[in-house]
Amino acid sequence: MKDHAATLRKTAFSLLALVVLISAGLQFYRHRNLREPVVLGPGVTDVKNLSDYFDGISGTINDAHVYVLEGEEPGGAILVLGGSHPEEPAGRLAAWIFAENAVVQKGRLFLILSTNRSATTVTRLGGAYPTDYSIETNFGSRTFRMGDRWSNPLDQWPDPEIYIHYPSRQELAYIDIRNINRTWPGRPHGTLTEQTCFAMTELIKKEGIDIVIDLHEAELQYPVISTIVAHSKGQDLAAFSSMMISGMEGFNIGMENSPEALRGLSHREIGDHTDAISLLLEAPEPFLDATRGRTDRKLLLEGKDRFIVRAGKHGLLFEKIDENGWPIALRVGRHCSTLLQIFELWTEEKADRGLVVSGVPRYSDIVDRGVGAFLKNPATADPNRIVYE
Amino acid sequence: MTLSPEIILLSMVAAYILAKLFKISTELSMFFAALAGALAGGAGIPARHIAEGAFTYLDIILIFITATFFMNLLKESGGVAFVIRGILRKFHHSKILLFLLLTLILLIPGALTGAGSVTVLITGGMIAVVLGYMGLSRPRTAAIVFIIAGLSAAAPPVSLWAMLTAAGVNMPYVGFFLPLLIPCVLLSLLTIFILGWKGKRVDLDKALKELPEAPDKMNWLRVILPFVAFFFLIAAGRVWPHSLPIVGLPLMFVVSALLSLLLSPIRLSVFRIARDTIRQLLPLIGTLTCVGILVQIMTLTGVRGLIAVTVVTLPVFIVVATLALTLPVSEAVLMWGAAPVLGVPLVLLFNTIGLNPIVALAGMSVIWPLGDALPPTAIIGRLTKDTVHMEEPYREMLKHCLIPAVLIAVVGTLMVLFSKKLAFLTML
Amino acid sequence: MITVMYYILAAAVAVLLMINFLRSKKWQDEILYLIVLLPFILRLLRLK
Repeated sequence: MKDHAATLRKTAFSLLALVVLISAGLQFYRHRNLREPVVLGPGVTDVKNLSDYFDGISGTINDAHVYVLEGEEPGGAILVLGGSHPEEPAGRLAAWIFAENAVVQKGRLFLILSTNRSATTVTRLGGAYPTDYSIETNFGSRTFRMGDRWSNPLDQWPDPEIYIHYPSRQELAYIDIRNINRTWPGRPHGTLTEQTCFAMTELIKKEGIDIVIDLHEAELQYPVISTIVAHSKGQDLAAFSSMMISGMEGFNIGMENSPEALRGLSHREIGDHTDAISLLLEAPEPFLDATRGRTDRKLLLEGKDRFIVRAGKHGLLFEKIDENGWPIALRVGRHCSTLLQIFELWTEEKADRGLVVSGVPRYSDIVDRGVGAFLKNPATADPNRIVYE
Repeated sequence: MTLSPEIILLSMVAAYILAKLFKISTELSMFFAALAGALAGGAGIPARHIAEGAFTYLDIILIFITATFFMNLLKESGGVAFVIRGILRKFHHSKILLFLLLTLILLIPGALTGAGSVTVLITGGMIAVVLGYMGLSRPRTAAIVFIIAGLSAAAPPVSLWAMLTAAGVNMPYVGFFLPLLIPCVLLSLLTIFILGWKGKRVDLDKALKELPEAPDKMNWLRVILPFVAFFFLIAAGRVWPHSLPIVGLPLMFVVSALLSLLLSPIRLSVFRIARDTIRQLLPLIGTLTCVGILVQIMTLTGVRGLIAVTVVTLPVFIVVATLALTLPVSEAVLMWGAAPVLGVPLVLLFNTIGLNPIVALAGMSVIWPLGDALPPTAIIGRLTKDTVHMEEPYREMLKHCLIPAVLIAVVGTLMVLFSKKLAFLTML
Repeated sequence: MITVMYYILAAAVAVLLMINFLRSKKWQDEILYLIVLLPFILRLLRLK
């Protein structure tokens, strides 16, 4: 009798656990396999893959697409990285707007929308992130994967007890071996994340890239925010861009030098290990703050939070915030305008290596009309001009 | 309509207390508190968040399981008895020498791995037996092992609190070696000498008579080789990080376990030992899993942010004066998760008011592990109680921890306060 | 190669958890075994 009751109890518990398992498992599966269409804009002349530059990445989840926009007139080459940290959506969305809208008249523009694609398929443990977010458009909405700062353990497991950066041998927290902005310049026989950086370093060398711009967002209590972080080779360019933007675009952005002691970051290692100038842009993302309240899609896209406002009133933040928050349009707009200003100043200075781009909205356009106004409708697009991230 | 985080927090606390009143274990009470929080927060029963939270400490759970399995194999093969007999024979005549040796043995595993649990699991049991033969009570012994294990986790080269916080404020993990090493070594020695002072010289004949006999064929080589393999793998990963594959701590312990199995002079029932290991660890791995779920739900509903913002917006002198309280409590709830949640805003706050962030963070890192003895998780405290086979109530161990804990809290707080004057320790 | 060993390790732990769950006599332990088992199964199924 007692045994019978125990069996019944165990069966009941097992069934409950199974329900949780199946429900959670389905959501994880859907997240990892959500297809994000890119409607190739008129300027996209070729779609390559990272494995075209380093075969070792072929067949892995991180064999990202490289969108090439080549102008008729020869000029320089600039690489824009979105999705280094897929938990910072403004970077990916800004790169998306370029891929779907930009037309290049002179030079070549290279875009990667999922720099660490593995990290777009997972959300932070304990972070309670939504698995996706949608941008409203006039034809419905476009849905994107929310991601993490680190590669998915499904693609890179186990971690070491300490991460020793290559080649500097600087010691970093174990988890950062899956942080693509700590594994530059990468190595061919390293982990997936290191290999991804190596593939991009190869791309930079083989394509003769002049400037690499890595798009990020930061929590408001992080001291490096609303700024252009520049390798010493790009100091003048960043400083001029910062001045021009603050005068012309309707928002302020600072400029700071890439610290020499901080290894593995794109703004440090790309500049050190290739001929390219490396810059990194940071926009404010309240969603990442440790003092944030309820964690949901609304906070991710609107950036409004009363706890963060309270932290700001106590002088704990490095960027201002009020009840209007930091909507996604502002953050994406900042990135788009900053990129355009950098292109323009670079082209003024180095006419033979210039990059002339049109068709991309600026900060004020995106703030006025929203991000969705500049995303194309996959349902009405030529199927041959759709690529999935 | 959604409830405010304040009310959600209250309903979580109420659910926790209610579960405890119904004599439900701490682990499950936390789980029920998480469910209550999710319901109050309007999230229903969020399967995905439960599962995702349950993943938070998966790798640490694997370390616990493999390390305990290794030590259980070693114990059953007679290796542990052999080592203790050896230490006692060689060092029984000098208490000071014995204390110095024991402190070193306790500090190394945690310093290398960043985990106090590894210290407790790998060396805690053996050290406890030796201390027992010096006439120290079990709770006193447990207190020594617990405190030094905590300090070993904070000790360089790997201090996870410092590393995770440094990463969160864009600061390289450089300059921490001396600011961490000096307090950790000094406080460990103080702890063992203060708590162990009453210890007598070991009565060697009595001890050898009482200790279980090691199997005849057991020898130093058989005992040492699995440890050599473990430390070799750790060292190799640091010396040749870019020529060797990443092994990870769990697999290192599996290698050591397999070696001790091969080298055992007697036949061991692997399956039974493995099953017992899991049963022995259930309260701990259950706690880790449920804490992960609890934190995920707290984040989802805004309760985590409420707690974080409340702490960091207190007046600065209160923040510094209560570090000895807030850091251990955050550790007790979030474990290493305390570093990004509290450590980051605190270090930024200290940096803003002109303190040295490296020394201040080192001071905080020394205080943090004290929380590993506090409920709701008390993870390493309970691990220690089990490992040293303490039968007395848990609070007996806490009583003995009090003096060293106060010393640690004072030293850590002073390091924060005088971090600017101590900045020379960073050698930067 | 090492990753494969980790999946084998996870599978071994999952099997032990299941055996202990089946042999357990206390309802609280049973729930706890299942909660701990959850991430192991999801990892083995390569869902998370």
